[in-house]
Amino acid sequence: MDNVPPKVQQQLAMLQQVQQQLQTVVSQKAQYELTVREARRAVDDLGEAPEDATVYMNVGSIMMQQNKDKVLASLNERIETLELRIRSLEKQEKALQGKFEQLSAQIKGALERKAPPSGS
Amino acid sequence: MEQVDPREIQMLRMYLSEYGQQMEILSGQLNMIEQQRLESAAAVESIRALEQSEDRIVLLPIGGGAVVRAQVLDPGHVMVNIGADVIVERTGADAVEYLQDRITELEALGKQVSGSIEQLRGQVNEISRRLEAAYRQAQAAQAGQGGS
Repeated sequence: MDNVPPKVQQQLAMLQQVQQQLQTVVSQKAQYELTVREARRAVDDLGEAPEDATVYMNVGSIMMQQNKDKVLASLNERIETLELRIRSLEKQEKALQGKFEQLSAQIKGALERKAPPSGS
Repeated sequence: MEQVDPREIQMLRMYLSEYGQQMEILSGQLNMIEQQRLESAAAVESIRALEQSEDRIVLLPIGGGAVVRAQVLDPGHVMVNIGADVIVERTGADAVEYLQDRITELEALGKQVSGSIEQLRGQVNEISRRLEAAYRQAQAAQAGQGGS
């Protein structure tokens, strides 16, 4: 690492930072996608239940009996909000991916210029 | 003897560590899936046993290993968590059907994750083999340099 130019060292540090940010965004997105999938599934299951089905929903730390339509509306609202967040995270992921590729190319270029030709 | 590019060794080690991490994550998921499958199977067994029980008295765990005797008021109806913090009341038969469907899904998911783990294991073995060959080549090159 000692013979790596300071500029490249700085770029490497930035690359690591971008990679960490990318990992955070990707895992957050995966978490939201999982929650949306679960909520969609609950909507499907609830749709099959009779109109007068007894439905409970977590409210804070207790479960309260709720009207089926109200629960469906709440779930759909949750799905909509999460999908908005997922779209925003997708934009961030794309931007970070671009930055990562750009930095990788810069570092690769700098190291190739520095490396002595092989075989000599 | 041809020199081994240290960058190649570094890259192979990086892949090995990355794949190892992925395998650990997938193994964790597989354990979770198996745990859920076993819980669903136990729930099916409990529902059936409750329906056949005469006194409907059960031992209800209240934490810390302590239990209280409780009587199930309506063993014909079960509250099923359908996800997203929503619980729906179903008849015993419907609840059993729901849980059995869930078991089938979890089994399919488990097979899928096991397949991914096997695929990763193959890749890890291949990388380990290449890494070992690279190390051997590096050692031979070093010995050749020392001897000349």
